[in-house]
Amino acid sequence: MNTQREKLEKALIVNSQQGLHARIATLLVQAMQKFSCEVTVVKDGVEVNARSVLGLLLLAATTGTEILVRAQGPDSTKAIEEFSRLIEHEDTKRI
Amino acid sequence: MKTPSGFEDSKTTEAPILKNNQINLLIRGIGVSGGVSIGQAVVIERITTDISPRRIIKPEEVSPEIERFTDAVREAADRLKNIKQGINDDHPLSEHRYILDTQIMLLQDRMFFEGTKTAIATEFQNAEWAISDVITEITAAFDTIEDEYLRERARDIYFVGERVLKILMGVHSESKIHQLPPNSIVVSHDLSPADTVQIEKGTVIGFAVDMGGKTSHTAIMARSLKIPAITGLDRISRLVQTGDTVIVDGSTGVVIINPDPDTIFRFRERQEVYRNYHQSLLAFGRLPAVTSDGVRSVRITANIELLDEVEIAISHGSEGIGLFRTEYLFMGRKEPPDEEEQYEAYRQVLSRNNPNPVTIRTLDVGGDKIAYNLNLAHEANPALGLRAIRLCLSRRDFFKTQLRAILRAAVHGYCRLLLPMISCISEIHLAKEVLEESKDELAAEGKEFVREIQVGILVEVPSAVAIADMLAKEVDFFSIGTNDLIQYALAIDRVNEHVNYLYDTLHPAVLRLIRQVTNVGQAGGVNVSMCGEMAGDPVNIPILLGLGLDELSMNALSIPMVKKLIRSVRMDECQDLTHQVFQMQGAQEIRTLIEKWIRERFPRDYFVGHT
Repeated sequence: MNTQREKLEKALIVNSQQGLHARIATLLVQAMQKFSCEVTVVKDGVEVNARSVLGLLLLAATTGTEILVRAQGPDSTKAIEEFSRLIEHEDTKRI
Repeated sequence: MKTPSGFEDSKTTEAPILKNNQINLLIRGIGVSGGVSIGQAVVIERITTDISPRRIIKPEEVSPEIERFTDAVREAADRLKNIKQGINDDHPLSEHRYILDTQIMLLQDRMFFEGTKTAIATEFQNAEWAISDVITEITAAFDTIEDEYLRERARDIYFVGERVLKILMGVHSESKIHQLPPNSIVVSHDLSPADTVQIEKGTVIGFAVDMGGKTSHTAIMARSLKIPAITGLDRISRLVQTGDTVIVDGSTGVVIINPDPDTIFRFRERQEVYRNYHQSLLAFGRLPAVTSDGVRSVRITANIELLDEVEIAISHGSEGIGLFRTEYLFMGRKEPPDEEEQYEAYRQVLSRNNPNPVTIRTLDVGGDKIAYNLNLAHEANPALGLRAIRLCLSRRDFFKTQLRAILRAAVHGYCRLLLPMISCISEIHLAKEVLEESKDELAAEGKEFVREIQVGILVEVPSAVAIADMLAKEVDFFSIGTNDLIQYALAIDRVNEHVNYLYDTLHPAVLRLIRQVTNVGQAGGVNVSMCGEMAGDPVNIPILLGLGLDELSMNALSIPMVKKLIRSVRMDECQDLTHQVFQMQGAQEIRTLIEKWIRERFPRDYFVGHT
């Protein structure tokens, strides 16, 4: 188990057909609200709060882009797992 | 013409509502969802919050002002939740319901919520002012995104801010979009996602909207509901009044305000075609376009702008892309796309269509349409100015980047290069010079590319028709761009409502110009295709067959109907009709003859053109 001080990171590829679009961003924010750790997403050196739909959309992560999810806090392992699951398996239609 | 000064003038002086006493007023926009609807307009007014009160508050007012803001946000969220509850699982748009969740979440998003509170607390702005500033800042950040869909999401946050502003300003109107009478055609300057998701299928039968493009919410919802929609109409909301009869033809992007009975009749027929034959027509899409006697076969291709449109084109039976407009890649951004980005876009379209041909048109805009710092002088008449190939030849670096990207992408499919707005032979020579330089550079760098690429020109300037025989010796193919050719040849700006009644594809001069090009093509062994709306309108098809065009490129939605028509006629009867038409003097006379000819052969299908 990681301590609160430890920062966890995982690199992910956005593979949904139309990138990190509004529906996935909404799902991600909803999911991350269940955790208490700090979660951020990094793309090309830009880091945004994973609980901000605007932040996630402004990353402009199109299909095939690599992003890095970072978490720090008590449930950070689970938060990263959940985040990756949504990025890797949720291929919803964009709207 | 594309942006004539006359149009600009009328735009600025028309601010008071143009009285709707004009019959058959035709406005063109972007057809984003196909089909024809005829109904009564309901104008959804957007109460403008652009002029929100602005004042500096006193330090002691800060916390009550923040509370005022948070209360308004809470109320906005409650209303959105209410709207969401009103859309149950069997609502046709239930799958889009989550857009309301997104809106609620945007209300609470730290960039908006905390950003506004900070502005109130540190800048001493009142809540309305703070919101406007924060929204402007956020939408500006979205403007820099290259992806069109993601960039368009700036509108979502704009509507969220507007919702809160309305509450603060005491404007308590929800649009009545969910309680409209049957046969309503929704006309608006812009529609928010919360508006569109409440549309009831059965009451709303069409959309006509000033703003937006193919990825706006209105477009996405309309496709989901399978009702026709046109966006990008610019000023329709000012021209139409609630209760006006309006025709919306989503396949051609045409709106007709106050149609006369004859026009309504013709569109009813067109509507029938959609209703009854849409499915069977789609089956025609899969068949080749060969005349019933087997004499003539025409390649049917699609015009596209966005990568997304490739799928629609293929599902409707396109045999390649006859016109890939690349402007979309360049517009609405601060820096032009680099070679890699362009390469990637072209590669995707080429590989998806392989082995069918993709004709990529090099940049076809004027400096007025792209915002880069090209240091171009202001032009009084941009339509006749430094645009398209002229602009590219004056900025070779710019042009070369695009040519290099195309040459490299050509490895992934069957690529043809199309040069727009050629008006004299030296432009072809110069363009080829840049093309050869690009090839040499790529070869020197050891990059993979196609050397033997086919080069064609868009025949759209009357001077190119006049010297077509000379140009034919320089190129591999001609593509007739009818939209501009007609405007330049007839000296008519078709978006100018004072003169657009003169715009007619069947004007004898237009037909003669086309014949001149096809004759040259046949004599010189140069393939002649046609892109532009003329190629997709069934009424023109018998003549285009008679003139011997090799390829017709059109809006994807028109393909099945055009293929059905071609498969149902004989080449000799088309040639006879063409011969007759060339004896006639007036466009109306010609149109009447062709429509009668078509009706006699297809009493059930009514391949009648629009207006």
